Amino acid sequence: MIGLIRVFIFAALGLTVVYWLMSVYSRSTERERLEKKWDASPPEGWPDREAYIEAGMAKYERSLRHKLIWLVYIVPLVVVAVIIYFVNVQ
Amino acid sequence: MWRYIKWGFRVTVLLAVFLFLHYTLPQHSIVRVTGTFNRLTTVGANSIFYASPDAGTAEGATTRDIRFIETVRANDKVIVFRNEDTGLIWPPYFKYDSSNLQAEAGNLKSDKTTPQWVSVTHYGWRVPFLSIYPNAVAVKAVAGPDVRIIPWVNIVVLSFLLIGLLMIRRMWLQFRERMLDPVAQDVAEAWDGVEDRGEAVAGKARGFWARFSGWLGTFRGKPRR
Repeated sequence: MIGLIRVFIFAALGLTVVYWLMSVYSRSTERERLEKKWDASPPEGWPDREAYIEAGMAKYERSLRHKLIWLVYIVPLVVVAVIIYFVNVQ
Repeated sequence: MWRYIKWGFRVTVLLAVFLFLHYTLPQHSIVRVTGTFNRLTTVGANSIFYASPDAGTAEGATTRDIRFIETVRANDKVIVFRNEDTGLIWPPYFKYDSSNLQAEAGNLKSDKTTPQWVSVTHYGWRVPFLSIYPNAVAVKAVAGPDVRIIPWVNIVVLSFLLIGLLMIRRMWLQFRERMLDPVAQDVAEAWDGVEDRGEAVAGKARGFWARFSGWLGTFRGKPRR
């Protein structure tokens, strides 16, 4: 039982690090994309580069792509459940 | 000299990764089961090659009753597998059914005249010197000793490892491009600023010195420049 709790704690810590890295990376690529888009040709009604990027980032925070990073926690749990099923069921 | 140390280090790391994966990933052996039994086994210095004490079947840390499966390959060489739970602990096979597996292996026992070939999925190594055995994970009856088994699990696991490595590389490159390079550029610009100022100071000094030596020259009767 202690082993089980320990495994869960370490898994949660490890996956949190992965989640954090993924969200920083994803945010960074999104900001870069917005910057490049504005630099290429500023869209209509967005004379201010900073304001355009901040609005884009706010939109990103609510987007599906940002929420998909939660899969970092879900996929390993599902994989473990599937492995347990296939290894132990005859 | 330095180059040899660097290459030695790289080769050592690669070798360690390879050995780790070779030990941990599943392999298939096509064998004939000849015996299944339990034996009290003392686990000592070689304990990292046995189930950890927390996992289901391994209650005692030093002496435990371990299930073994004796098998023979088509070329008459033998392999002895141990059959221990891994539980939730490393390696992540999440195996809790070693009793069932032992019964299945017993059911597939056969002799030389009427062989029943069995594919045993296992991980680990047999090293007699260390008294370690590969751990059997699953048994499955197969048609003959030459059946080809596609290692799907290894293909999937290795591709995900590769994808993970490429992802880490891309993350690092992104981090360098967005966070480290601008800072380095700032530092370089700041340094250029320092150099400019330094030259300005030097120029002023030169001007001062020229005026001073010119002023000295007035004493020697030279015309001021």
